Amino acid sequence: MAEQRVVVVGGGLAGLAATMKLTELGTPVDLVSLTPVKRSHSVCAQGGINSCNDQTRQLGDSEWKHFDDTVYGGDFLQNQPPVKEMAYWGPKIIDLMDRLGVTFNRTQEGFLDRRRFGGTLYKRTAFAGATTGQQLLYALDEQVRRREAEGMVRKFEFWDFLSPITDASGRCVGIVAQDMVSMQIRSFPADAVIVASGGCGLLYGRSTMSVFCNGSAASRCMQAGAKYGNPEFIQVHPTAIPGADKLRLMSESARGEGGRVWVPRKAQDSRPPKSIPESERYYFLEERYPKYGNLVPRDIATREIFNICVNEGLSVEAGRMCVYLDLTHIQRTELDRKLGGILDIYEKFQGVDPRDVPMKIFPAVHYSMGGLWVGYSKSGDGGLVAGHPQNQMTNLPGLYAIGECDYQYHGANRLGANSLLSCIFSGLFVAPCVRTWIQNQSKSAHELPASIMQNAINAQEIRHKELLGSTGGENPYLIHQELGDALTRAATVVRNNQQLESAYEKVSELQQRAKACSLSDSGSWTNQNVIFTKALQDMFPIAKSILRGAQLRDECRGAHFKPDFSMPSLSEEEPAARRAEAERWCDRFEENNRRFLKSTIATVSDEEPQISYEDVDTSLIPPRPRLYGLVGAEVIEQVWKERVTSPQTTA
Amino acid sequence: MNATNANFLTRHDFLIRRLHSLTGLVPVGCYMVVHLLVNSSLMNGPGAFQTNVNQIHSLGRALPLVEWLFIFLPLIFHAVIGVWIIRSGKTNTDQYRYLNNWRYTLQRWTGVVAIIFIFFHVFHLHGWFHGEWWLENVARPWGMANFKPYNAASTLATALQGFLWPIFYFVGIVCCVFHLANGIWTMGITWGVWTSDRAQKGASIVCCIGGIGLLIVGLSALSAAITTDVQQARNVEDAMYKLRVDTGEIVDNPEKRYHAPESLGDSTEEASPDEDVSE
Amino acid sequence: MSSPTHAEPVVHARPHKINVRILRQDGPGQPSYWERHQVDYEENMNIISVLQRIASQAMTVEGKKVTPVAWDCGCLEEVCGACTMVINGRVRQSCSALVDRLLKEHATEIELRPMSKFPVIRDLMVDRKRMFETLKRVEAWVPVDGYDDMGPGPKLSRAQQEENYPLSECMTCGCCVEACPQYTKIEVHRRPGETDDQYDQRKRETYAQGFVGAAAISQAVLFNSHPTGANIANERMAVLTGTGGVQDCGNAQNCVAVCPKKIPLTRSIARAGRAATLYALKRIFDH
Ligand SMILES: Cc1cc2nc3c(=O)[nH]c(=O)nc-3n(C[C@H](O)[C@H](O)[C@H](O)COP(=O)(O)OP(=O)(O)OC[C@H]3O[C@@H](n4cnc5c(N)ncnc54)[C@H](O)[C@@H]3O)c2cc1C
Ligand code: HEM
Ligand code: SF4
Ligand code: SF4
Ligand code: FES
Repeated sequence: MAEQRVVVVGGGLAGLAATMKLTELGTPVDLVSLTPVKRSHSVCAQGGINSCNDQTRQLGDSEWKHFDDTVYGGDFLQNQPPVKEMAYWGPKIIDLMDRLGVTFNRTQEGFLDRRRFGGTLYKRTAFAGATTGQQLLYALDEQVRRREAEGMVRKFEFWDFLSPITDASGRCVGIVAQDMVSMQIRSFPADAVIVASGGCGLLYGRSTMSVFCNGSAASRCMQAGAKYGNPEFIQVHPTAIPGADKLRLMSESARGEGGRVWVPRKAQDSRPPKSIPESERYYFLEERYPKYGNLVPRDIATREIFNICVNEGLSVEAGRMCVYLDLTHIQRTELDRKLGGILDIYEKFQGVDPRDVPMKIFPAVHYSMGGLWVGYSKSGDGGLVAGHPQNQMTNLPGLYAIGECDYQYHGANRLGANSLLSCIFSGLFVAPCVRTWIQNQSKSAHELPASIMQNAINAQEIRHKELLGSTGGENPYLIHQELGDALTRAATVVRNNQQLESAYEKVSELQQRAKACSLSDSGSWTNQNVIFTKALQDMFPIAKSILRGAQLRDECRGAHFKPDFSMPSLSEEEPAARRAEAERWCDRFEENNRRFLKSTIATVSDEEPQISYEDVDTSLIPPRPRLYGLVGAEVIEQVWKERVTSPQTTA
Repeated sequence: MNATNANFLTRHDFLIRRLHSLTGLVPVGCYMVVHLLVNSSLMNGPGAFQTNVNQIHSLGRALPLVEWLFIFLPLIFHAVIGVWIIRSGKTNTDQYRYLNNWRYTLQRWTGVVAIIFIFFHVFHLHGWFHGEWWLENVARPWGMANFKPYNAASTLATALQGFLWPIFYFVGIVCCVFHLANGIWTMGITWGVWTSDRAQKGASIVCCIGGIGLLIVGLSALSAAITTDVQQARNVEDAMYKLRVDTGEIVDNPEKRYHAPESLGDSTEEASPDEDVSE
Repeated sequence: MSSPTHAEPVVHARPHKINVRILRQDGPGQPSYWERHQVDYEENMNIISVLQRIASQAMTVEGKKVTPVAWDCGCLEEVCGACTMVINGRVRQSCSALVDRLLKEHATEIELRPMSKFPVIRDLMVDRKRMFETLKRVEAWVPVDGYDDMGPGPKLSRAQQEENYPLSECMTCGCCVEACPQYTKIEVHRRPGETDDQYDQRKRETYAQGFVGAAAISQAVLFNSHPTGANIANERMAVLTGTGGVQDCGNAQNCVAVCPKKIPLTRSIARAGRAATLYALKRIFDH
């Protein structure tokens, strides 16, 4: 057989990890990325990466508990075997990254320092200042550069992935991509394709993500027939700062290092925050969640902020959600050592030193739990079968998805510092699986008839030419703004069906208008205008899936919150009545799980998303109410505990 | 990358740059310090100065060899490579007005001034070559080669009459001193002597103080030279000359003496009670 | 969610319009020309948002329809290194270049130019491959055996981590080399009939003749001070003392002054200088 190659689309943590591992195993890789891979969005990750470790173990932690926290944090919406496998790989991944030279913070004695992140009680998070993603990405980038120097990797940076290529049998045999400098469109035959294209925050106009996170690659796979899982689960991060072009994240690590969230008890108190006495501050997260405090999972923190600002009217600023994130009680040297990166960002963009003055922070779209549907092969111990070709493979044979652009690991809500782990894990883990797949193919993609490749190129060239010639008068940049506004209004923290419906109509209309864009640049050299317009057009399938998925899911789960279908809090005061109420609460909880504890699966046909549902493998950890020790909900936890320990309900 | 002949230079870039750096200090820089110190002895009067000069010239025939081997050739090497280095960069103080960038630019400018200054300075006083033909037919007709070692102070003072030469020397000395002082600072970075920010700052201050000190020395030599009374000095020198030749401490070499149209002078004032230690 | 933002109270009067002068170039080897644009002033604007408005207007201040200005950006928070350009004469990241502050520097106009030390691809976009190639040359990586689970890495002291961490923040933005008087532009034009590989090869060879620049020196120092990285320290030193090595630095120290990550580059350069001294001496006496 001719030489076998793999194409990796995207050089974030996931794509680089896969590339690095594949080349180690002897498979050459063509790495295609919108940007020099060193600039991929993963550089933005600040807070850290989770794993069970020697320190936490002594306090009773284990890989299983990490697995459990992840599943609980994700509201049980993820298939558990991959999550389990990931949690058990955690410590190994940290060790590997340590060996690769990541400058993790150290304890006095020279061990890796750890901090606590949301949704757990253990200090699992290894970190390199407040630029962990950057440090991890660079370590992988360096290894890939080393492989590139050895001739095992060819990089195609400033190339836009346009579509997968499939042969007559439906097997993915390569990709078509376009050079964003010379505008050349060409094919890359490949025996397997791994898409690692990251998130889709750009759909919302402004988010905490980089400009590359437009979801175009995932959408193009979807349009080629790939299934997209859980689109409606979009994480809104509680703490960011707004800017005209981007919402900049203030990492959860700020709270992990002791940062406290509060609002003045008096609405829009105009005093400078430092002069507001303790007694007049409302530390609402700490009061409502004494166990987890400021480190409840993000969906909960965000909703509490929404509640405080919108329902209780205590926002620091009138007219929009804003609360204080306070670090001023922590020593400066400590702050500089552990959080320097984000504090610099705040200072740079807000002009205020957060070491002296509490930060004003706002929620912002941050992460997409959903993504391309991928399969897995479950092992006897409930983890994954290493090297099995089904792991991380989409429903298009030979097309794999890893990293933020797969839907596999985080369910309905991602815990902080788990994404870097899932990205590196899925990247490393997929490599031997892909090897098995390509070794099982009887024919190399390079031996296929040239017409397969040529047809795919032709289709893209037609699209490209049509766009350049289009004269409909619409401005793609303005349509993008409108799309962002529509999604931000309807599909973020709080959702309701009317809004979702009207947003869907609006988005459909925008989709039509986006087809009639007139380009201000119709040239054939570094035409960013046409690249942007293509990405814009390809935002719609995912945008519509988000809205439709959200609309059809009449429940609250993780980041998806519909007040109309929320579980009521207990109102009875009298113990017996309260207990009965809790019983009813649990009945309803179980009933709801029977209906909705399912992955949303979206496909597109004729521009419309088709939604179906798929069962979730919860065989390792049965679902339980997700309360995080909420004050006033203790009875529910009590009742639930009794139910699972009594034999008849554990069936 | 400009010229093709840059090839040899680029290939041995490191060695050449380090040699350039080294020659800046040893011997060129060291020589310059000694030179300025010796010259400043003129403040103690022409006799003291003459004694020092005599000491140097006690090397006799070896002197040109020493001069060329340890001063001129290293200097020319440093200068030629210096020009090549200057051409390899592009100053940008108009855009980046940082102190250290100014120093970088000034290091280059003062290097260029130093070339011009040293070229004329050596020509002006020394004449570059000792050969009689050269001196008669080239140097002297141009008004150069004015310095007579056995009439050190007086010929120096004569040569510096007027106001153009003093200004020329003033600028030259200031530039050379800056160049050396700043050069020692950059050298410490180049060779890795001071690495941390603090050490670099500290070294910068030390170099600055050293530079100011050297500048005072250099300028006082200049002012002493300008204010020297030629006639008086010559008397001292001639007396010393006779004495030294008589004791055999120096070789009689009229070429190194001042020859006036009418030779006169006999007053015998003693300058300094020094012993010469020539071999 | 969050509506247009609200910054600290500002006292000085704000303009309604911002004038922007941009040095454009349609492609490599083409002449460059100035173009003037005007966008509405908004609060909290940075150069990226100005360029976004310009892209969406696609019209000069004179009302002439033009193609949108091409530029590069990514993270928009100064960690990816993509958006470097020369703003009001000084190289910096355009995402962190806030309009209010620029207008304080120069009230009437903002001037944007592409970096001058790299070949222009188009407008404000330049080709910084030379920097990435240099990273390859100095072998800026830890030469591990492989990526299997082999236990933790070498134990490092906190002091060592704190020394290395700042160096590992380098995002290859190129500010340091743009401001460096010793780093000069190398542009290699394609010859007729040359294949991609030949062209790339020639580019690599030509780049290898130039100064490696502060960023690469600092990376070499970083990896030489990592216990495993140090295993190939001599190979890195061979590059740092080869053509275009650390000796080409003229100590202008602009690099450290403009580095957006405040990387102690001159310290790295001095450390590299020291290592080069020792390396050269060792080579003399070992042979
Ligand atoms: C501000 C911020 C902070 C974060 N902090 C943390 C944290 O502390 N801990 C944590 O665990 N997670 C964190 N996350 C989440 C985490 O950073 C991301 O989920 C993760 O980096 C995604 O990595 P990836 O490899 O999947 O994709 P990315 O890093 O996004 O890379 C995507 C790659 O795909 C390429 N690509 C995309 N589209 C195309 C196309 N059409 N053609 C060609 N190439 C394409 C891009 O060029 C890029 O190389 C954070 C996220 C944000 C936004
Ligand atoms: C008075 C005579 C001179 C003395 C004492 C002297 C001394 C020095 C010293 C000590 C250095 C520092 C070397 C380093 O940074 O490593 C230096 C650098 C330099 N000198 Fe000179 N120099 C003299 C004349 C010249 C001349 C005539 C030139 C030619 C133009 C010149 C050009 C330079 C340049 C360009 C540098 C900077 C080198 C670099 O940064 O790498 N110098 N000099
Ligand atoms: S050293 Fe600083 S200026 Fe230079 S490339 Fe790195 S981050 Fe940019
Ligand atoms: S110190 Fe060296 S590398 Fe830095 S700007 Fe100056 S010459 Fe360039
Ligand atoms: S956009 Fe990443 S550094 Fe400016």
